[in-house]
Amino acid sequence: MEKESNFVSAVVYLHNAQQTAGEFLRGVSAALSEHFKKYEIICVDDASTDESAGAVRAFAAECPGAPVTILHMSFYQGRELAMNAGVDLAIGDFVFEFDVPDLDFDPEAVWAVYARALEGFDIVGAHAVGRGRTSSGLFYKVFNRFSGSPYKLDTESFRVLSRRAINRVRSMTKTIPFRKAVYANCGLRLGRVAYAPVRPQRAAHGDGAFRRSLALDSLLLFTDVGFKFACGMTALMMFAAVFMAVYAAVVFLTGKPIEGWTTTMLFLSFSFFGLFAVLTVLLKYVTLLIDLTFKKSKYTFESIEKLSR
Amino acid sequence: MRQDKIIIGAGLYGLYAALLCARRGEAVTVLEYDEAPFKRATYINQARVHMGYHYPRSYSTAIKSAGYFRRFNEDYGFCVHAKFDQVYATSAAFSWTNAEQFKEFCAAARIRCDAVAPSKYFQSGMCDGAFLTEEYTYDAQILKQYFIEQLASLPRVRIVYGARVERLWRTERNWHVLTQDGEYRAPFVLNATYASANQVLKKVEGEQFEPFGIKYELCEIILCNAAAPLRDVGLTVMDGPFFSIMPFGKTGFHSLTSVTFTPHVTSYDALPAFDCQKNSRGFCSPAALGNCNDCPARPESAWPYMSSLARKYMRPEYGFSYCESLFSMKPILKASEIDDSRPTVIRAHTKGPTLISVLSGKINTVYDLDSILLGEE
Repeated sequence: MEKESNFVSAVVYLHNAQQTAGEFLRGVSAALSEHFKKYEIICVDDASTDESAGAVRAFAAECPGAPVTILHMSFYQGRELAMNAGVDLAIGDFVFEFDVPDLDFDPEAVWAVYARALEGFDIVGAHAVGRGRTSSGLFYKVFNRFSGSPYKLDTESFRVLSRRAINRVRSMTKTIPFRKAVYANCGLRLGRVAYAPVRPQRAAHGDGAFRRSLALDSLLLFTDVGFKFACGMTALMMFAAVFMAVYAAVVFLTGKPIEGWTTTMLFLSFSFFGLFAVLTVLLKYVTLLIDLTFKKSKYTFESIEKLSR
Repeated sequence: MRQDKIIIGAGLYGLYAALLCARRGEAVTVLEYDEAPFKRATYINQARVHMGYHYPRSYSTAIKSAGYFRRFNEDYGFCVHAKFDQVYATSAAFSWTNAEQFKEFCAAARIRCDAVAPSKYFQSGMCDGAFLTEEYTYDAQILKQYFIEQLASLPRVRIVYGARVERLWRTERNWHVLTQDGEYRAPFVLNATYASANQVLKKVEGEQFEPFGIKYELCEIILCNAAAPLRDVGLTVMDGPFFSIMPFGKTGFHSLTSVTFTPHVTSYDALPAFDCQKNSRGFCSPAALGNCNDCPARPESAWPYMSSLARKYMRPEYGFSYCESLFSMKPILKASEIDDSRPTVIRAHTKGPTLISVLSGKINTVYDLDSILLGEE
């Protein structure tokens, strides 16, 4: 088979992955060298405290075919920031992002994902069939329900990005707190490839607290779940205020309330009603500010199709 | 044969020294390993006439370069290509210097630096600043022709090509240099062999001179054909693992180099030891470097990597295509890694008789030789 002449980069995230890194790099490198004339491997070492970098060096020494780079992060910054740095360093026409250095897929899946990208998808993710932890499953359920994006997010093991997808994402926003959400909102076509895992995943997904806080940030930034919740609460409280006002009026007309009670109640009802109204407006402003920061470009387009005779 | 001076190495430093001394009537012999002058580092480099822009983390190097820049252009203007836009840009990611710092540095070094829109040359978001600068490239072949003609008109100078220096020793008044076809002696020997400086010192008999603290990099420069928009433009992206593509003297080619892919292999030994030497069929060894460019074991080109890196940054209309690769050995002073400076190191190993080694990574600091050659008497 003729090898592909597009230059590809593989960016691999490593955080205390000493056990799996060597095997993973050998597998991915073998798959890449089988299909591509030239490629590079960038390992992002997110301040590992074990011998992850040593495992990479051992791999590089025995496999001199492709240049291997280790990008050492200064301190632990989490998968998202570290992978952003790795992708910034990559020079390929297409860039593979391997979020978890665990070879639970047949290396041929790497080619399958790339082949899918060539069909016209700028970003193609690979997800394991029948995998999904309950906690991340819940996160994706809430996220997809409120994100308003046509693309539904799911747990992905790795993905490939075209150079123009990278350029697009970089020009849209400077900070990318959660890559998958930005990719899904960048306006280019997303593809999916499913693979049957050859074995259960071994590498840990990492720091639970860090991921929970990332999940909360992502929900607030990329979906309108926070705004919708706040609006619902405000409506409820406004309704309660109106109800209290009506109740105070009814008591005034039918019973004998203590002097001053009715005016107090009416005043409180009116004040709370106004307060909630003001809060709604403020919330709207905050939402707008977030939109301005994270969706800098005025519009996002997928492609320009020129029709001519 | 007794000479006034023996110069080992016919690169720019060797021939500059030869011409300077021969013009004063001295008898000079130049011993050159290759069959012609300027076959290695003098020819095979980015051909920058440095103004100092390259060293935003080393003011001393920058200021010295700027001073010699004028003089080089006055003396050798005929080989200098100055009519193109030399653009320096700072990469938005992974650069040790940002646009603001680069501007401040240029102001401090008093060198030209006019901001232009990075989007004119680079993909959106890749560079945070781009600057038009005053920096030229020289044409080694034209310069070589000049030196050959000038030296030919002087009767007491001669260049011995294909010379294999076997050993050196000193007597009371002279240094002796033995080559495969004869012995030369002079009260003054200049070791201007750049990457082979330590190898020559090692051949001294009866004495041990401290070798230069250098590492060796086998470097590749790619000559490219530039598309029309790029023809009169030179681009250099700083300050980290980036690249430059710029006119290669007056040859009509552009040279493409990158910080990460130009060096192919590195040797940290005092004498350059490389795996490829085993495959060179005796052409090259740690004791005597062959010319990498003519070597049977020269490495495969890094063009796919260098071109991908450059295309990631450059706008697509600035096209370029592969023409040929040039390889040469580059010694790098270990002390200069952090601030990335390139000082000229001159070492006088002995006085009366004199043995001096010179090591410099830049073409226009050749004037550093003046003091040692003229201050002799």
